[in-house]
Amino acid sequence: MKYLRNALLTVIGLYLITLGLVYVDVYDSRPIISLFKNIQSDSALEIVDFSTDKKDISGKPRPKPNKDRNPYYGDLHVHTKYSFDAYVFGVTASPDDAYRYAKGEGVKHPLGYEMKLREPLDFYAVTDHGFYMGMIQAYADTTTDISQNEFAEPFHNLNRLDNLTVESAGERSNIFSSVLGATIIQPYPDWHPKLLKAYLTRNTQSALESFDYDIHKSAWADVARSANEHNDPGHFTTFIGYEFTTSTDIEGGNLHRNVIFNSSKASIRPWTRIDSTNPEDLWTWQDRLREKGIDTIAMPHNSNGSNGQMFEMETFTGNAFTDEYAKKRMRNEPLVEITQVKGTSDTHPLLSPDDEWADFEIMDVRVGSRPPTYSKPSGSYVREAYLNGLTLEFTRQGNPYKFGLIGSSDTHVVAASLDESNFWSKVGLLDGDPENRGSVPLKEENVERLDEYMRAFNQPISTVNLEQGEYANTGFTQWGASGLAAAWAEENTRESIFNAFRRKETFATTGTRIAVRFFGGYDLSSIDLDSESLVSEAYQKGVTMGSDLLHDEKKNPEFLVWAQRDKNGAPLQRIQIIKGWIDNNSGRPKEKVFDVACSDGLQPDPVTNRCPDNGARVNIEDCSISVNVGSSELKTVWKDPEFVPADKTFYYVRVLENPTCRWSTWDAIKAGYKPREGLHETIQERAWSSPIWYIPKQSDVDVIPLGGTIRLRNTN
Amino acid sequence: MKYKISIFFIIGLILYLIDIGLNYNDEKEIFISDQEIISLVSAWKSQVGRNPNDDEITRIINNLVEEEILYREALKLGLDREDRIIKRRLAQKISFLKQESIPNAPSNDDLIEYFKKNSDKYFIDSTYTFRHYFFSSENNSKERSAKAYTDLLNEVSINSDPFFLGKNFVDATIRKIENEFGKDFSLNFLNVELNKWIGPLESAFGHHIIYVTNQREGYLPDITDVIKQVEVDFLQSKRDEAIENYLNEIRSEYKIYINPDLQI
Repeated sequence: MKYLRNALLTVIGLYLITLGLVYVDVYDSRPIISLFKNIQSDSALEIVDFSTDKKDISGKPRPKPNKDRNPYYGDLHVHTKYSFDAYVFGVTASPDDAYRYAKGEGVKHPLGYEMKLREPLDFYAVTDHGFYMGMIQAYADTTTDISQNEFAEPFHNLNRLDNLTVESAGERSNIFSSVLGATIIQPYPDWHPKLLKAYLTRNTQSALESFDYDIHKSAWADVARSANEHNDPGHFTTFIGYEFTTSTDIEGGNLHRNVIFNSSKASIRPWTRIDSTNPEDLWTWQDRLREKGIDTIAMPHNSNGSNGQMFEMETFTGNAFTDEYAKKRMRNEPLVEITQVKGTSDTHPLLSPDDEWADFEIMDVRVGSRPPTYSKPSGSYVREAYLNGLTLEFTRQGNPYKFGLIGSSDTHVVAASLDESNFWSKVGLLDGDPENRGSVPLKEENVERLDEYMRAFNQPISTVNLEQGEYANTGFTQWGASGLAAAWAEENTRESIFNAFRRKETFATTGTRIAVRFFGGYDLSSIDLDSESLVSEAYQKGVTMGSDLLHDEKKNPEFLVWAQRDKNGAPLQRIQIIKGWIDNNSGRPKEKVFDVACSDGLQPDPVTNRCPDNGARVNIEDCSISVNVGSSELKTVWKDPEFVPADKTFYYVRVLENPTCRWSTWDAIKAGYKPREGLHETIQERAWSSPIWYIPKQSDVDVIPLGGTIRLRNTN
Repeated sequence: MKYKISIFFIIGLILYLIDIGLNYNDEKEIFISDQEIISLVSAWKSQVGRNPNDDEITRIINNLVEEEILYREALKLGLDREDRIIKRRLAQKISFLKQESIPNAPSNDDLIEYFKKNSDKYFIDSTYTFRHYFFSSENNSKERSAKAYTDLLNEVSINSDPFFLGKNFVDATIRKIENEFGKDFSLNFLNVELNKWIGPLESAFGHHIIYVTNQREGYLPDITDVIKQVEVDFLQSKRDEAIENYLNEIRSEYKIYINPDLQI
């Protein structure tokens, strides 16, 4: 009895002491806990060389590098069957299929028709969702152990051939909603050895019942293998990559980012939202990989559907930004995807009321919200983020929004849909035909089916009655045929293009192959615009897109811009320079759009800064466009007429094509209808360059914001 | 008593035999209804925006037949019933659909044979090294280029415009020239004369006068130079073949009925 009591007391005593030790907490450092950390290994930092030991695989002669750099076009946002949602959308195509498509071969849409590029791309990166990568496919495959679990049953043989139908859309959407929901994310019970293993290898996901680490790793290895196998230096570049699919907890603010690797080596598994939903932890992981010699770049996308969370004025956890935060963010994500199938994130009419081109491919709901929920514009668009970055710099918090621009598609059927006249949208069986994406009226028998589907989609109204009949109210009408990433690089190799991304010497397009050069400097007007050495002189005398332009006394900078049309697209209408700045006296952010070059020999009006109408029109009956209007190339040197040397300022270029039919108009006239009312009938395809930031002389005045939580500049 | 039971047994046997007889006939016949074809063709049309041509219709129907065959085979194996053994057998079928039954290391002979059969795939295209004078369509390119051409022949210095992608192109393939100048322009290179000013030639951006200094004829590389690519392609072709073979194997067992009078 006494022994028993002593033993009991000892146990309780030891327990209390341990608790005491474990919880000795001086701010964030827990010395005892950190002792335990030494026995952990970090599975996400294990490096694997996925290379396939073949160089110059095609045996083709490799073109010489061009010191004046070439524009290379590609897509850095592509999903295959390994993405949990793509597989649910009926996609069975693999990363190999994706790369074959990019090189110009045809691949099949889940609905059976062929998808093919008009012109091959120069680079491509498969970026499947890291979260649950490969897992859904394993659930569906009834030979795997993991498919024998109860939670896997709804997925069994989901993509068998007879189930690849539009009719299965309801079942599919339902499954889609349940995956991101918590239903299948159940950890093993506390006593289970897998829990300990998860702790020791810092791999939370391996503690989940619905997760099979081996399947996950082999899917990732296949993505990496495929990328390395298709990489063909000098001719075609691939990147190992994945999507970090995170969001804010309460509002579901989209914080998705794509991550690409600079070499054939990569971590043994992707860092995912199961490791942490906080993007700062992703950057920490990227920093650690960099210490091991692996460079990565993260690229946020669909800020438009983030409800203001992507470009917030505070950190994920609600703290004030610091210089350190800004540096870490820019070190790890120097680029942002400004346009893709789910809308364009340049700016919003409410944010830029004086920009007549702001109402362009706006998607105004949060990504993946059910039912669809409004996404507030502020904090969701690139231009405002650039301005906010200047404000944060003004308050000495660093500039976390000094990123370059790319576009990409976010296709989920391995093939980017870039052509308005041949659009297949994004999510396979759900939007692969005009009726389901809402561009033509529904046939009677399809109305009821859609009703069922929309109930599964948790959308309150499934159809709307318009002039020409009952239309699907799917929200897909806000999606579009966009976009492309373009990089100015010496040659088409992984190294050269990745370095261009690092320099932010990039531009984005809405799928068209417009090309644009952009330089800033103080002596650019001395360059002869008709000279062959124009580009090399501009590189010598100025800085290019993505760079800082330092002040030079009080000289007014000059900008050289040169754009070339897409030979298969519409001619160019105008070049604009978008200027944003912080008024040094009031601290207020301001923006202004200048037309700097007009087509057909026209000149911008010096008062309104607008080009006169060039008269280009679209015939909505057959989508033909005016001939002999518009330019094949535009170039000019421009000087900011309102330049103030003390103001922090950025400048970026927007190039506009003449108007052409939007995909929804093409869909309608092909089916013999008029375009659906309420949608834009035409669009102006466009390109945006990364900005050039003008850095004024540092002011003598120190800004001391109220509130006191902000770290001030050390002025000793 | 015994009689009555035998009567039921005999009736049962007859019904069973009739059932087998009927099903046997059904099982290997595929009727493709007009409705099915029309709905597929209209789906095709609504996406592509025109009627499919004969080739494309054939492909659509072939896909439908193949799909139906695979589906029937799956039914025959009892996909619609929950049975573990049948699941296993079905899994074997799916496993090659999933392309797993492919040998990992093909033999050298396999690769050589594949290389010979598909040599045009490995052909290294002809390349051209050239420079050009460019006259932008923004600046009266037709007349200026015509004048410049005569000036060039008379060795008078000329005034051209800088081209966006540069003046000199080294070892460019026809495909690259097409991507950068447009298709019509690239065709000019097919029988081009060397070391001579040629033009003016029109592109999507204006007019050009070209001077080709070097043409390297296309050639078939040695297999050892492209062995890795051959291996990748060979394995891929095997994966495609596995499905095709399977289909061919069982396709012959089926009779296929398609209405020959269907109008689309």
